[in-house]
Amino acid sequence: MNMKRRTFLGTGAVATGLLGLNGLPLHAQDRTLNVTAYGGVWEQAVRDCFVAPFEAKTGATATVSLGGPPQWLAQVEANPEKPPLDVLIMSPDLAVIAAEGGLMDDFTVDKIPNLANIPQEFTDACLGKGTYLNYGVGGITYNKQVVAEPPKSFAAFVDRVASGEFVASVPSISYAVTPVFFIWALNDALGGTPDNVDPFFEAMAKMKDNLVFWAGPNDFFNHLASGEADLGIYFDGRTWNHVDEGVDWIDFVNPEEGGAMTAVAIQKPKNASDLAWEYLNEALAPENQSKFAEILNYGVTNSEVVYSDKLASRVTPLSKANLPPYADIARLRNEWVDRWNREIGM
Amino acid sequence: MSDSVPMNAKLRQAMLLAPALIFLAVFFVMPLFDNSMRSFMSEDGGFTLSRYTSFLTDRFYLGVIVETVVLAAAVTVISVVIAYPVAYVLVRKAGRLSGVFIFLLIAPLLTSIIMRTFGWQVLFARRGLVNQWLVTDLGILDVPLRWLNTPGLAIAALVHVLVPFAVLSIASVLQGVDRRLEEGALMLGASKLRTFFEVTLPLTMDGIGTGAILVFMIANGSFVTLVLLGGGFQTLPLLIYQQFNTTRDFALASTMSTILLAIALVCLWLQLRLVRRQGA
Repeated sequence: MNMKRRTFLGTGAVATGLLGLNGLPLHAQDRTLNVTAYGGVWEQAVRDCFVAPFEAKTGATATVSLGGPPQWLAQVEANPEKPPLDVLIMSPDLAVIAAEGGLMDDFTVDKIPNLANIPQEFTDACLGKGTYLNYGVGGITYNKQVVAEPPKSFAAFVDRVASGEFVASVPSISYAVTPVFFIWALNDALGGTPDNVDPFFEAMAKMKDNLVFWAGPNDFFNHLASGEADLGIYFDGRTWNHVDEGVDWIDFVNPEEGGAMTAVAIQKPKNASDLAWEYLNEALAPENQSKFAEILNYGVTNSEVVYSDKLASRVTPLSKANLPPYADIARLRNEWVDRWNREIGM
Repeated sequence: MSDSVPMNAKLRQAMLLAPALIFLAVFFVMPLFDNSMRSFMSEDGGFTLSRYTSFLTDRFYLGVIVETVVLAAAVTVISVVIAYPVAYVLVRKAGRLSGVFIFLLIAPLLTSIIMRTFGWQVLFARRGLVNQWLVTDLGILDVPLRWLNTPGLAIAALVHVLVPFAVLSIASVLQGVDRRLEEGALMLGASKLRTFFEVTLPLTMDGIGTGAILVFMIANGSFVTLVLLGGGFQTLPLLIYQQFNTTRDFALASTMSTILLAIALVCLWLQLRLVRRQGA
């Protein structure tokens, strides 16, 4: 009798465990979409602007996975037949790699009607297998209390930092998009090409005694707040987020040469749920994008979006930002990183 | 019947150990093995040593390996030198205050390492508190010093994090030292200094060894402090992170992590040999 009770309890425990495991989001379920978002204010914006309207329209649910593009792409690469994620937020260079690897579905107006209002070049930049959702611009953020006359161009930034007038905080090579919004942008402004990044490395050599490196955006803000640096290379949207939080001593300059447009791409892995098309259509809808822009202070890509006056004065127009050659960067990035390691250090 | 009793006891022991062993096997050994295997796999799926040969014949990467080991060794030596007197006071002099000492020692570990590292940034920034005292309040300096991104500050921050591990290791062994041996040496005419170096210190080598191994292993793989405080160090953990986050060269990252693991194991073996040779 005793054994029977144990057997019963044991079987019950195993059954409960198996049922519990079945409930885990091991892969995307039919009526549940697993979408992605960066942490912090980004996550909340995704929930409010994309997830909520998607759920209201479809009756399906969307769970939000937090993390970053390298991790998400690795998850899809590990299980392309049954991807654990249905919609990916990607950096543009990884979007190209994912597209070239045949891991992503084609974006067409048939599947995503709102794609019609996204500039074609943004979809082309993802090789037709994704498009850009929003964008920021990498430029010069400075402490107004210390820097009365900020440099107006990348060239002036290099000269004045090299002369010791300022200490600058620049992104370290461990930050994923450094090759795009810092190496390529500065090199391009100084006359280099993707295949010739000597101008960038020469400029870094000139500035090296007056540089500190930030590992992440919070680190940059600490450098400015603590007085370790006077100015640096940072994003427009994040600068305005600090201003909205009450930081009144910070300001942003889009360099005369034009900062690099640092876009966020959005993609759907092959074999992911077809519900993802509905979600993507919501993510690209003008009303949702408009709300998204207001929260994040970044420009969005739907040409139908009309910004509020506050945002219009902050968002760098697409005409004043440079679209980096992401395919070239994806090809050359490892070479640049290796050179950085050997010449500049960490 | 008499044979079945020890068999049952062994079975019970095995069953008690099983959950921990299975957990370690599934979540530590297997992923580690899988990770290492990736470094030996060529593009077409065959076996290759090419990543190791190119890594270990590249002067830049050899320099990174040396820097990783030297940094960990320097942090270990400094931590142990600082920790020994602290442990001595804790065990021999603190008396009823030893609880307070231990709390003060462990208190920093209760704070996130990221917050502590940001604290170093705030204190030692160019217009931070330390420079403000030196330049404005005390007038000792005309211009602020650049502390951040210097090797000294990065080492100091690592030592700050790791000294408690060394103190606790040494203190636990020091506590068990038979005081009569030291008293005997003193009664036979040895000075306090000689008694310490010839009796107390050798008897606590086990604690020093354990503390040194702990500190070395953690320093060897330290990442957050070096990422945030820089110090100009190029170490394997930083490069491994870069391969995952920036270049997505997972095979190279696997190669580096296997080399880092091998270094840690070799250093562990050497330290254990050294401690045993000292007679502990």
